[in-house]
Amino acid sequence: MSITPCLRAAGLLTIALALSACSIGSGGGAGRNAAGQAIVASGTFVIDNIDPGSAQGGSAGKELAGQQIYGRLAKPDASGKLVPDLAEAWKPSADARSWDFTLRGGLKFSDGSPLTAEDVVASFDRLIQINGPYAANYKGVTAKAGSDTTVTFTSPAPDPALPGKLTTLFVLPSGVPADAASYFAKPVASGPFMVESFKPSAELKMVPNPNYWGGAPTVKSLTIRSIPDVAAKLAALRTGEVDVVWGVPDDQIPALRSDASLKVEAVPSNGNFTMWFNSGTPALKEAKVRRALWQAVDFGTIIKQLYPVTGQPADSPLAPTVFGYAPQTPIAYDPGAAKKALEEAGYPFDKPLRLQFGQAQFKPFLQAVVSSWAKIGVRADLLQKEQAVFIEDLLAMKWDVNFQLLGTAGYDAATNLGRLYPCAAKRTGYCNPDLDELLAKAGSATDQDERKGLYAQASRIIWDDAVGMFPMTSKVSYVWNENVSGFTLDALGYPDFSKATGSGN
Amino acid sequence: MTVVPAFLSGLVAARRARRRSGLVPAVVIGLYLLVAVAGPLLISYDPVRTPLEDRLLSPGAVTSSGGTAPLGTDALGRDVFAQVVYGARTSVLIGLTTVTVCLLVGVAIGCVAGYYRGWVDSVLTRLVDILQAFPGILLAIVIAGVFTPSLWVIILALSVTGWISFARVARSVVLSVRERYWVDAARLLGVRPRRLLGRHIMPFTVGPLVAMATLEFALVVLAEAGLSFLGIGLPASSVSWGQTVANGKEYLNSAWWISAAPGLALSVLVISVGLLGDTLTARYGRARSR
Repeated sequence: MSITPCLRAAGLLTIALALSACSIGSGGGAGRNAAGQAIVASGTFVIDNIDPGSAQGGSAGKELAGQQIYGRLAKPDASGKLVPDLAEAWKPSADARSWDFTLRGGLKFSDGSPLTAEDVVASFDRLIQINGPYAANYKGVTAKAGSDTTVTFTSPAPDPALPGKLTTLFVLPSGVPADAASYFAKPVASGPFMVESFKPSAELKMVPNPNYWGGAPTVKSLTIRSIPDVAAKLAALRTGEVDVVWGVPDDQIPALRSDASLKVEAVPSNGNFTMWFNSGTPALKEAKVRRALWQAVDFGTIIKQLYPVTGQPADSPLAPTVFGYAPQTPIAYDPGAAKKALEEAGYPFDKPLRLQFGQAQFKPFLQAVVSSWAKIGVRADLLQKEQAVFIEDLLAMKWDVNFQLLGTAGYDAATNLGRLYPCAAKRTGYCNPDLDELLAKAGSATDQDERKGLYAQASRIIWDDAVGMFPMTSKVSYVWNENVSGFTLDALGYPDFSKATGSGN
Repeated sequence: MTVVPAFLSGLVAARRARRRSGLVPAVVIGLYLLVAVAGPLLISYDPVRTPLEDRLLSPGAVTSSGGTAPLGTDALGRDVFAQVVYGARTSVLIGLTTVTVCLLVGVAIGCVAGYYRGWVDSVLTRLVDILQAFPGILLAIVIAGVFTPSLWVIILALSVTGWISFARVARSVVLSVRERYWVDAARLLGVRPRRLLGRHIMPFTVGPLVAMATLEFALVVLAEAGLSFLGIGLPASSVSWGQTVANGKEYLNSAWWISAAPGLALSVLVISVGLLGDTLTARYGRARSR
């Protein structure tokens, strides 16, 4: 009897060791999943919710799931150019106030019912009614069905970026209520895959949609699994439990490259590391303070050391592949000047900044940022939040500095700058009437060169006023088993699996 | 004739060996205590400072500032040896505080239950039974997860179920000792219950409780490391072996020293404490009291 506690201690110890040991993968003994032509993928984003209109559950995971399950009018190809999806053609009116979309003929939902213009209109109205994060893209826009195959979107002001913005409109059958949690356990699909089972934050299993206009995918099933722990994720890849992973840390890439059965590739994304300052926080109200905080971080060294493969210093709030990108003057690392500026502005050094982020993979980067700030006496508490809480707090402005890897939907500044930075968006606490005017003008200008110029001016204000820090443009690294092919290496981390194939080994 | 002395001296040697068996773990634990107290005074370490140019250096490498990293550096360039030393302080501090809290609460409840018996005993024993229905580590994870991480939350989380074993041991000892003649005699002399309990009964609980506390200490140190490993233990600004092990788990293939060094430190401490606890239990413990 006397030995029991000791054994208990030993037992716990074994568990602790096993917890760390289980993450060492030792190459594939287990059968590769691709042999059964079922593909398992594990990316960066956690899928909490597959209701495309909902504000809850983060946008990235929803976007990834949405692109597999639902069709859109148009979608961007690898270079960011819009290509037809459910719509086969679209054209603006002369003043660009309205856009006519023509749907493909004979479209069907996964349950066999016809997909008509009415469904597109209903999906759009639902998105506006729920007022989720993407609804801000469509201020005053209305949709109307002309016939079964034509939809007209009318906007109060000219909106040349509308087709790009509509890449975030996923088409559901009409009649889905705004609050329909139970419906989304097994929603009717209009994209390549339909839902087989869905466990929020854990696993989304999908099977081919036989009624997909592009032909049903050939894989048996597609599972998107969330594995937050990088070591566990890579172990799963090596053992064949998972076939495709993306968002792999740079430190792991050399080892993966040496594995002959794996393929590794990093593609430039249109996502920037975006670290907004909450300008509503008294200490961060002045642009001078925000700029000084930016100046105080040695991003050059951090990027070189932590992201040698996938990092590239950013020079604009937008990534270079996005329409409206214009390079800005880089902000040089100068801790001395930063400290002086903060002292002059009366910055409260004793009050820590709340730096919030969602995904564990960014922790080392943010620890290095906090370290840089600590050198000049600025304190920051690093708060890692669970994805759902992170989004809730992000929208409720319960942070001082927020970290996000922010992509640009539709590769157009309108969905990034135009959506997030006006005063009315209430996303950063920053409000500048001049910027509002520029963004409104850029949103409605019909001439592409003029829009580009206006977004360049807007970028400059956002950059110079340090609404946030924009340290890095990131690449997305994909690693996959060589017997899986045909999926796209998407720049945003939303690969398209509709043409994917898995061969047996 | 020569057989008997040889047999006798063998017996004596065996007894001596048994006595000495507690010595090695005691010395090891003493070393840990020394490191926990004196180490941080000799080595400076700031978990917030991340010299990135020194990242992932192997043990013994020279850092950019000219120093040597005896156990290498982690993914953010921080010295692993310093983390082990500072982690020792955290572990020992949390272990001692938690065990003290558990000991005070457990002994108080156990003695009251054992001495007064009746409904007081029934209520307290049922409470213990209910708490024991929860796996201790699970309850600790829930508590640590609900509150913002801090040292006190961890101590609370680990104490919530930790006092139970102390209460049970104290109660069983008190239950039997209170029936002894000297207790009856003291009672007849008119000694007040509080003094009776303190002077005539509680001294008999010390032996088993000390043995118990040693083993509990090992469990607490391990549980704290577990919680920190899971990321719900101490805040990132403090140093804990569990956190260091977790930081290194992505690098087991390439930089094994990040996880190995604190893992080894943790294992050796827990095993030593366990061995010492067993020796103490064999000497002072009461098998039937558990």
